[in-house]
Amino acid sequence: MRVLVADDASFMRQMIRDIIEPEGYEVVGEASDGVEVTEKFKELEPDLVMLDIVMPKRSGMDAVRELVALDSGAKIVMCSALGQEALVMEAMQAGARDFIVKPFKPDAVLATLKKVMEKE
Amino acid sequence: MDLAKYRTLFLEEARDHLGELGGALLALEKNPGNGEAIDLAFRMAHSIKGMAGSLGYDSITEVAHLLEDRMDAARASGRVDPVEGLPVLFRGLDGLELMVNAVADTGDAPPPNPELVGILTGDSVPVAEEAPAEPAPGVAPAAPEAPAAPRPAAAASVRVRTETLDRFLSAVGEVILTSRQARTAAHREGRATPSALGFDRMDRVVGELQRRALSLRTAPLLRVMEPLPRLARDVGRRTGKRVEVELRGAELELDRSILDRVGDPLVHLVRNAIDHGVEPPAERRERGKAELGRLVVDARREKDSIRISVSDDGAGIDLDAVRARAVDAGLVHEGLAEDLPPDEVAALVFRPGLSTKPEVSDISGRGVGMDAVKATIESLGGRVELESRPGLGTTTSLVVPITAAVQRVLLAGVREETVAIPISKVERIVEVEAQGIERSGRESFALIDDEPVLVLDLARRLGLEPFSDDGQAPLVIAEVRGERVALRVERLAGQQEIYVKPVPRLLASSRALAGLTVLGDGSPVFALDVNQLL
Repeated sequence: MRVLVADDASFMRQMIRDIIEPEGYEVVGEASDGVEVTEKFKELEPDLVMLDIVMPKRSGMDAVRELVALDSGAKIVMCSALGQEALVMEAMQAGARDFIVKPFKPDAVLATLKKVMEKE
Repeated sequence: MDLAKYRTLFLEEARDHLGELGGALLALEKNPGNGEAIDLAFRMAHSIKGMAGSLGYDSITEVAHLLEDRMDAARASGRVDPVEGLPVLFRGLDGLELMVNAVADTGDAPPPNPELVGILTGDSVPVAEEAPAEPAPGVAPAAPEAPAAPRPAAAASVRVRTETLDRFLSAVGEVILTSRQARTAAHREGRATPSALGFDRMDRVVGELQRRALSLRTAPLLRVMEPLPRLARDVGRRTGKRVEVELRGAELELDRSILDRVGDPLVHLVRNAIDHGVEPPAERRERGKAELGRLVVDARREKDSIRISVSDDGAGIDLDAVRARAVDAGLVHEGLAEDLPPDEVAALVFRPGLSTKPEVSDISGRGVGMDAVKATIESLGGRVELESRPGLGTTTSLVVPITAAVQRVLLAGVREETVAIPISKVERIVEVEAQGIERSGRESFALIDDEPVLVLDLARRLGLEPFSDDGQAPLVIAEVRGERVALRVERLAGQQEIYVKPVPRLLASSRALAGLTVLGDGSPVFALDVNQLL
């Protein structure tokens, strides 16, 4: 399973890596803003994108729309924080498949990814 | 979860974010409707919240969350309230900085701060700052949108732990030294033999490897320059002065180990410039200057060094005051002080025990003077320069090497050891009769140029058997923290460029040992930090 991780904090990207890589997911790329994630998405064609909502240059919200426009089958999991429920709902309407909430709980993250990947 | 690893990552990134947050708030102070700065501040607070939450730093999470809320409201309204809102944001930033520093010091976040939370939630009013705030405080970076502008793009970068990098560099150091040893051995068999020529080629390749490896350790000066405008703002408020700060060349890169050590000296220079240099607004007006003082922190590359200068347009160094203080402190004889040329008087500010203002500077909570600035910079193999024009201002420059590891040294034998003394510290070498060295109590003096100079017996200093009083004594005349001293050694063994590795902890019992290297012939050499000898 090839995963692209987009978050402006390298701390968060590292944390996601450490949670999912031991479980057999391969992080094929990282992006630190909403423009880079689109570029990396085109270049790497990942199976799944983990996308932070708050990012520089272009928000995660706009990035969802862009990724879905590029590939309507794109599997996107939003990474949000408490208090961003409205944004999460908006992202899901725009085509995100699911979401996880910071601070990340490893079990919850893995369960969400599994759920998304099984819903082929 | 590897907590230590995440803590390191957190500290590094949170400090970067706080720096950006500070820059954004300064930009908002200049223009409360700067949308980019509002957005940046929001994102930085949000990101710090996320990281702190992941590590269970609840007090940091809470304050970052409240800041984020405030910035979110500002996003909605398109501006921050410069009179009531902005000071609260600065308080929040200060609080976050303190808490992040506490994580660095204690390994955990401090308990929640109800007062700070009260201020951020609007339940209590911030205590006014010491000096009355002017409606539009003049301190802001000169480039209008600079702090909110995106940083140089980190194109396809990876983050590597400093520890890993250091191990790698240490291995590269070994490669360099081993290849130099092999080359020396091959040359013994003849300079034009195939193996000697092969090692010459290898030497060039390894030299390139070394340059590239050392460049991995570099980071932009922005890290230490970014806080300066805010510092200037705070010092300005406290001293009732108005100063504008311009940063130039912050994108230049320096070795991290050097970078980390130029931060405090720069803070000191900026404080000094405002405290002692820039005149109060009324005085400036009288002198026909703009009320707003101007400070330029300029970094530029000079061959293998970087020159960072702090220039103010203030009154210049008060030479008479320096003279008087030097006489009071017993540094210069009264009769002599009169005749000292201006540049020598100015140079007195680098002497320990001289401060033209009686109070002790409070940087980092300890007394740090220009002598400490000079000692710090010199221990990095750099130098400090001072230029002052009465009435026009002062420029103080720190010239530091871009990479820390390679130094040109004088090799000297002390008993069975060889020590390396940085050439930059050496004035000259003299040889005197050992019997001519005068003892006075626990100290020894030699007459150099008809002037008594303190003699330091390096053998004794390094815990080896002290030298005897017979025969010739080679003395290396060096400048140590503003004093001329003579380092007594046993023999001199030439000059060389060496790659200095940090001293293994067990050996570092003497603070004067800065590093260790192995010469081409395989013998170990200790690099001396002469500033630690006095």
